[in-house]
Order: sequence, then C-alpha cells, then structure tokens
Amino acid sequence: MKMKRKIATLLVGVMCLGLAGCAKKEGYTVGICQLVEHPALDAATQGFKDALTEALGDKVVFDEQNAQNDSNTCSTIVNNFVSKNVDLIMANATPALQAAAAATNKIPILGTSVTEYGVALGIDNFSGTVGGNISGTSDLAPLNEQADMVKELFPDAKNVGLVYCSAEANSQYQVDTVAGYLTAMGYTCKYYAFSDSNDISTVVTNAAAEMDVLYIPTDNTAANNTEIINNICKGKIGIVAGEEGICAGCGVATLSISYYDIGYATGKMAVKILTEGADISKMPIEYAPKFTKKYNPELCEALGIKIPDGYEAIQ
Amino acid sequence: MNIFNLINALPGAVAQGLIWGIAAIGIYITYRVLDIADLTVDGSLGTGGAVCIVMMLSGHNVYVSLLVATLAGMCTGLVTGILHTFMGIPAILSGILTQLGLYSVNLKIMGKSNQAINVDKFDLLVSLRYIRDVVFYKNTILVVLVITLLLVAILYWFFGTELGCSLRATGCNGNMARAQGINTNFSKVLGLMISNGLVGLSGALLSQYQGFADIQMGRGAIVIGLAAVIIGEAVFGKVFKNFALKLIAVAFGSIIYYFVLQIVIWLGIDTNLLKLLSAIVVAIFLAIPYWKAKYFSKPASKKEVKTNA
Repeated sequence: MKMKRKIATLLVGVMCLGLAGCAKKEGYTVGICQLVEHPALDAATQGFKDALTEALGDKVVFDEQNAQNDSNTCSTIVNNFVSKNVDLIMANATPALQAAAAATNKIPILGTSVTEYGVALGIDNFSGTVGGNISGTSDLAPLNEQADMVKELFPDAKNVGLVYCSAEANSQYQVDTVAGYLTAMGYTCKYYAFSDSNDISTVVTNAAAEMDVLYIPTDNTAANNTEIINNICKGKIGIVAGEEGICAGCGVATLSISYYDIGYATGKMAVKILTEGADISKMPIEYAPKFTKKYNPELCEALGIKIPDGYEAIQ
Repeated sequence: MNIFNLINALPGAVAQGLIWGIAAIGIYITYRVLDIADLTVDGSLGTGGAVCIVMMLSGHNVYVSLLVATLAGMCTGLVTGILHTFMGIPAILSGILTQLGLYSVNLKIMGKSNQAINVDKFDLLVSLRYIRDVVFYKNTILVVLVITLLLVAILYWFFGTELGCSLRATGCNGNMARAQGINTNFSKVLGLMISNGLVGLSGALLSQYQGFADIQMGRGAIVIGLAAVIIGEAVFGKVFKNFALKLIAVAFGSIIYYFVLQIVIWLGIDTNLLKLLSAIVVAIFLAIPYWKAKYFSKPASKKEVKTNA
C-alpha cells in the first residue's frame, strides 16, 4: 500500500513538472516530417531549416521526425504535430504531405520534394495554387528539356528505355510525361519498371540489352541503388538522369535542380507565413530557381561521348 | 517535452490503433485459431485500401466501398487457401506468394502506386481530421470502436456455430478434426478468407484515415498485427478468458502498440531507431509470458500456463 502511495506521489510530481514546462514560449515551433533518409530529401530539409534560422534565429524551434519510409508512421508523426499545435508543418515528400493534409485544415502545411501537387492531393484541374492551408515547392525539372538532352547527346539512338520504380507515383508521372515528349520527337519508348531493389538488376540488364539509351527520373529507389545500375550499364549504355545524385552514381548527364534550393525556397515561404502573416491559400507552388546541365566525366569517357558546351562536370 | 502534448496526441494513437486492431483480429484468427502464420496480410491490407479508394473516387457510397474492399480481401484469402490446400504449398509460402502477386494486382487496381483521396471532397467515414473538433458521432474513435464491437459480436456468434467450431477444431488438432468428419481443407480456406476480409476492411479504413492508399502501405502489416496479438495476450491474457474478450484484447494490444510508438515520438527519440524500438517492444512482450512461466509461477500453476500458451 505504502509503495503504491509513493508511486502516486511521484506521478503527481512528474505531471506538475509537465505543467511547469507548459508555459508558452516566445517564437515558433515548426514540425518537419520527412519520409525517408535520402541525400536529396536531407538537402531539402537542411535548406528549409537554414532559411528559417537565417530569418528568425533562435526564435524558431524545429521538431524533426523521419518516417523511415513507412507511410503509416507519417500519420503518427503528423498526429503528434497537430496535438502539439505547432505553428507550421513542413512535409518532405508525397506521403508526408498527404498525411499532413488529412490531419489538419488549420495549421499551415508546406510541402517540398513533391513533384505534382495535383496528383499528390487528388485535385482535378490543378491550377498551380492548392488553396486552403497547403502550399510548397516542387522538385520537377522541366521534362521537355530533359527529353531535348536525350536528343542532344544521343542523336543516333532510336529506342529509349524508361527505368523507374513502380511504387513511386512521382516517377510514374515523370516517365509518362517524358515518354510523350520523346515519342513526339520520333523515339520509341519502352517502360522498364521494377518493384523494389531486388528486381533492379534483372530489369536494368534487360533494358541495357534491348535499348539504345536509358532515362531514369527522380526516383528514390533508383537513387539508393545507383551502384547496381552502374555495374550493369557502365561503358555499355548511356543514362540520362532526372537528378544529380543518380547522375553522379550511374548517369551520363542530367538537368539538375538543387534540393537544397527548393528546401530554402520553402523556408522563405514559411518565414512569410509566420512573420508577415501571408495567406497560404493564395501562395502558388514554387519551382526550383535555376536548372543546371551537368555531366559525369568518368562515364562519358567510358562511352566515348563528347559533351557539348554549356554542361558542368559533376565533381 | 510537455505531458499535455502527449495526452493531446493520444486520441490519434487510439484511432490508429483501433483501425489496425481490426487487421490484428484477422491475424489472430489465422495465427491463434487456425495455427497458420499467414503472410498474405502484407498484400491484402493494400488491396483493401486500393479497392476502397478507387470505388469512392468512381462515385460509390462509402459503405458499399468498405463492403467491396472486405470482399476483395476475402478473395486474397481464397487464393492463399487454394495455393495451400489444393496445390499443397506450405501455408507460409502460399501467403508469401499471394502477397508477392498482390503487389502487381494492387498496382493495377489503382493504376499507379499512390492514390490520394481528398477529405474535403469525399464523405469519408474515418479520417485523421475527424479526431478533434467534430460532433461525437463522426468521431473516428467512436466509429471504429462501433465497427470493432460489431465485428467481435459477429465473430463470437460465428465461432459458436457448428461451422465455426469445426474451424477451431481444425486449428487445435487437424488429425482429430478430420477423424470427426470435418473437411479441414475447407475450414482452412474459410478461415483464411475471414481473416483477410478483416484485414482488407482494416486497410480500407486506414487509407481513408491517412487520406491515401499506397502500394507500400501493407509492408510490415504482419509484424504490427502479430505485435498487437502478442501484446494483447501478454497484458490481458490473465483476465480475458472468453473468446469475444480475447478478440477485444487483441484490439487493445494494437492500441498499446501505437501508444508506445506515440510516446517514442513524443520523447523525441531519434526516429531512425523506430524500427529497432518496435522490434524490442514486440520481443519484450513475447518474452513476458515465457519468463512468467519459467521464473515466477508456482509448480502447480506451471502446467496450466503451459497449456494456455
């Protein structure tokens, strides 16, 4: 009995401490929900935090959570943010944004590393502004310019293989769009989808044998497995990649966006919302401020490709 | 680190736990009643979600969508059952095969890997949004609780009928059941169908709750479900002896699992350790009954504990 009373006293004590910590602090709390550890997404989160810290200094506190590539965990994390009543939620990647959108229509949500907001949120006739409590930045690099790049670097090719992970909605959207441009230019396109990292080698081996050139969009699974792809393709077939990470690992050239930049742009939007009282429902989705044509010198040399002017080498 | 934040976050954890609890009850039926480790669930959860979202997007009523999602889940169980009984493939492999095949099926159902449903445009039954500031009868926790109790009542009735008893007999002692004239193959297929039907329903509710169906949403479902079954048994096993109460214990187990997860996030522990922590939680709850039997029971009750486990 005595023991029980002691425990009870202890518990009450702990709760009082909790109450004491409850006093409202000056400044802003920003919840960050990132889908998975991944160089591109990490860079976007870093850019976001840098922009906010530059503008607000110590007045902003980040609650950074990573869902370990489990969409259910996104819901748990976002639920935690909503109950803490954070001032703003930053959702990094599509499932994080979807979970946040389902969780609240009051707390402002900024997305980043999301390719198509209309697709991600199920909006018909998407006009560029989501409305409500959602806005953000897109990681879409102009897909028609990527198609032009294929033509510029591989003028003799006829068949283009589109390699991507079937589990990623963003990749599906990009290959569909690029296939449209390439077909209009007279190329024959074939889809090579893999379901997870276990299928990559089989699918890519097939693609490398059958096609003249490959294209890989901003695909998270491909980005994590560039080594396998490179082992199969190096010196045999050229790959045009959707982002710099993939290009550095296995690609010949890319039209690169910086995830740090779009993260930074998201951070600036957050500053406007938090300090200047900007209306998030009227803020259109922003895109990367600049695109750079980059090439991978080692792999270009292995294939004997001459890179035209205007490309930067990837270090 | 504010205790009120945690308390505020608990309703969300309860709702998520209850939804997973329905899947866990399904897993209980195969794992405990039929004594089959059925890995179909990793696929059938996604099937339920995909079917429900696609049905709703094409303009069907939410209840019809849930029903069809449940039926789709039952079909996946039927496939596993046929692989196991008619084609003689070991149960665990049949489940893995179905789960593997369902990846493609789910992809074809949705047409892409991730399909969103907008809570503002569709009349969803449950949503992460409907936890705070809604009229009480729309509250997700209440809605899922009612569904769970309804399901438990139906299952309790069913497992009391002759057919249900034959199902339980099949799991207890297949040879004896056959000797009594029970078609054990039929029982197994039926059990797998009921189980995956429940998992499909859970997936349908889950996709509404989180606002999207995703090709990856079922990944690891079997672990969460087994965790719920085991936690429920470890915590309530001594008190809940009745079959209906055992099913409810499983749902509670699922809630406890999400409580622990929410506390981990609230404590601000590095989320990179989340999977390891989940594994540790399940391992501890698995070990509790074993330790109890080994170190803390008197010799007389030792036998009883063993037969219960």
